Amino acid sequence: MIAYVTRRLFALIPVALGVATLTFAIIHLVPGDPVIAMLGETAAPADVEGMRHQLGLDRPVLEQYFSYLGGLAVGDLGESISYRKPVSRIIAERYPATIELAAAGMLVALLIAFPLGIIAGSKPGGTGDIAAMGFAILGISVPHIYLGPLLMILFSLDLRWLPLTGRGGFSHLVLPAITLGTALAAIIARMLRQSLIGVRESDYMRTAISKGLSERAALIRHGLRNALTSVITIIGLQMGSLLSGTLITEMIFSWPGLGRLLISAIGARDYPTVEGCVLAFALTYVVVNMATDLIYALVDPRVRIS
Amino acid sequence: MGAVRKPVLVRMMIARMRRCAWLLTLTMIALTSCTGAHRSPDTIQVDIEGSPISTDPRFTTDILSSRINELVFDAMVRIDRNGQFVARLAESYERPTPTELVFHLRHDVHFSDGRPLTARDVKFTFDSILAPETGTPKRAGLSHLKSVSTPDDYTVVMTTDGPYAPALEFAMQTIVPDGTPLPARSSAIGPPGAGPFRMASFVRDESIVLERNPYFPAPANAPSTILFKVVPDPTVRALELTEGVSDFSENNIQPDVLPYLSKQPHLAISKSPGSSYRYLAFNFRDPYLRDVRVRRAIAYSIDRASIINSMMRGAARAATGLLAPENWAYDGNLPIYNYDPAKARQLLDEAGYPAGPDGMRRLRFVYKTTPEQSSLAQALQAMFKRVGITLEIRSNEFATFYSDIQKGNFDLTSLNWVGTNDPNHYYMIFDSKMTPPHGGFNRGYYTNPEMDRLVETGARTLDLSEREQIYAQVQRLAAEDLPYVSLWWDDTVVVMNRELHGFTPYPNGSLISLATLTLQGPGAAEPSE
Repeated sequence: MIAYVTRRLFALIPVALGVATLTFAIIHLVPGDPVIAMLGETAAPADVEGMRHQLGLDRPVLEQYFSYLGGLAVGDLGESISYRKPVSRIIAERYPATIELAAAGMLVALLIAFPLGIIAGSKPGGTGDIAAMGFAILGISVPHIYLGPLLMILFSLDLRWLPLTGRGGFSHLVLPAITLGTALAAIIARMLRQSLIGVRESDYMRTAISKGLSERAALIRHGLRNALTSVITIIGLQMGSLLSGTLITEMIFSWPGLGRLLISAIGARDYPTVEGCVLAFALTYVVVNMATDLIYALVDPRVRIS
Repeated sequence: MGAVRKPVLVRMMIARMRRCAWLLTLTMIALTSCTGAHRSPDTIQVDIEGSPISTDPRFTTDILSSRINELVFDAMVRIDRNGQFVARLAESYERPTPTELVFHLRHDVHFSDGRPLTARDVKFTFDSILAPETGTPKRAGLSHLKSVSTPDDYTVVMTTDGPYAPALEFAMQTIVPDGTPLPARSSAIGPPGAGPFRMASFVRDESIVLERNPYFPAPANAPSTILFKVVPDPTVRALELTEGVSDFSENNIQPDVLPYLSKQPHLAISKSPGSSYRYLAFNFRDPYLRDVRVRRAIAYSIDRASIINSMMRGAARAATGLLAPENWAYDGNLPIYNYDPAKARQLLDEAGYPAGPDGMRRLRFVYKTTPEQSSLAQALQAMFKRVGITLEIRSNEFATFYSDIQKGNFDLTSLNWVGTNDPNHYYMIFDSKMTPPHGGFNRGYYTNPEMDRLVETGARTLDLSEREQIYAQVQRLAAEDLPYVSLWWDDTVVVMNRELHGFTPYPNGSLISLATLTLQGPGAAEPSE
């Protein structure tokens, strides 16, 4: 197990290298100039050149790339052009907010998806199934940018239950988490339904029912655990869309996370910050997927990590 | 056996569901009690769309930074809402020779840390901007300023490199204390200023908190703190006003939300004439757009009245040029291009502008993505189609958009000028030497020797009535030769909590009168629609 985790952690190195290279290439290829974004177009050419030199942007791109990789090797993500602070420090300040939001979004997704999936999967074609899957389609179809303000109008303006924006206590987390988690809930619910329908025909289910368990009880006690492996896979894979969903959700709810940082950094062509944020997102995705692999072993005793 | 166990299971599930329902209700009650959007009586919240680029006024060139910095810092002179210079840190000023401006400073001014403000601070601020190693974009704007000297502690002499009419605008630079270091990584909060507020905190992309400067007199009942909160989404800014979380907004609410906000009993909306000028610019590197008939045809293709009525909800005035009617140099007798698609088609044919196989001409419209610009692009696309022009739309965020503009990858673009005061701005936008990247804004590479002569003479002429005549000619030439098609001047739209009084909207959108807001201002005028 420890050897497995160590091996997987070592596998992060080529992933990080690939992500760093791609992000570096893309952000440098996109038109736009960090110095002009900062100084404006009235800046004298000499001042523009001076700042370019100060930021090291006048060096050949390959040299900048290798210097970036060199820094990365020792954990130095460079200094933000707009914040004038080390990128790693800014990310450390913002990362908890994004993880809090993503975790809450995932929790909301699971809380919605499991009852819906079980209701739908236990009696396919029934009223519960049609209603639950109708909700699922709605959940997938409604974009964050629409759902967020809609929830704000309902729960903040009309009912006055929850605050509109910002990060604070638990109450601040509810609406962004629902906004972020609804689409994922819909995907997980559909997957769970399919898996449950699949396991309904299994021998062990027939045995459980013939021993006197009701169909629903057999499904929840024996079927659910077996259906979980595919659901866990989808949860791991959907982590990417959950993380990218934080970008929009953080903008709508003025949530001070990594997503908002990334968007403003792209606008300012703050190369080191963009590269650092994308790397943080990518590594989170990889680590979560590694964690889901470990969870398989807990859910399915036949899976052995070696 | 199954029949026996089923009711037990059902009962268990019902019991669980009940427990869940109770838990949910309790959670909701807890949540309800822990929220509540009541404003602290001493703080007003102003939602802004982004963070200021710099909190040091020696570096600020963006609008948002300027708006916040003018609440923290003060200048020797400022522009009032009628466009007139008013003395601030200076109690008086004179121009003894064509190249000299002398300012006599007040003796009772202190920075928010208690230090008295003297001529040394003024000299330091200007010298710091002019020093190349500072690397500020503001240096280019002071290129005609030769030196700043201080004969005594309360006198400042500015010397220009020749007679320069807009020199008084240099004195609008806000002042930092002598010895202020360049912005360092550790100090997000800018230096102390002599304005009505001091910056208590600044968290980029989140908020800025301003507290009263203890050395600056505040009106009675004035809120002690202004919280500028960064809310990027315009819909959410409107929702925050509706809920009463935010108290004030100026020019950052989409016009189509205004009718909804006007129905909220606790909000007052005011619209007043603004000077923010929206225009359509041409790329003169395109041989066909160099033909004035084509540019006029495009001007005739635009139904500005319906765009203003539908898209802007009437919160704008059709513009005739850069200078709004409130400007001292405004000429009200300029040619106007009313919507006339037949004339537009005729002019395009006369100019021999070639059409494609489908009979349509093609133009590329490049703009920075905002909801307003996207609506404008769609409206223009529909209107141009009627005169036989297919408008290809290219929308990007600012950095990419600006890169396109610099490289000349556009036919038409639309932007706006905010806060134009001295007509010398015409020099910056239309003089043939002011093309990027030479510190100017002539992004379309417009060249007209007559325009060059007029704007260069205007900058060096000190007599006001002579200048007025020169800029009347500039305005006429711009309206006839059409380097820009004038669209409209945005109104200054203020949405404010009715508990607040005493805000005076400025045509240029200045927020300086947030300093004089009171919570129950006796006799203070309420904004009206």
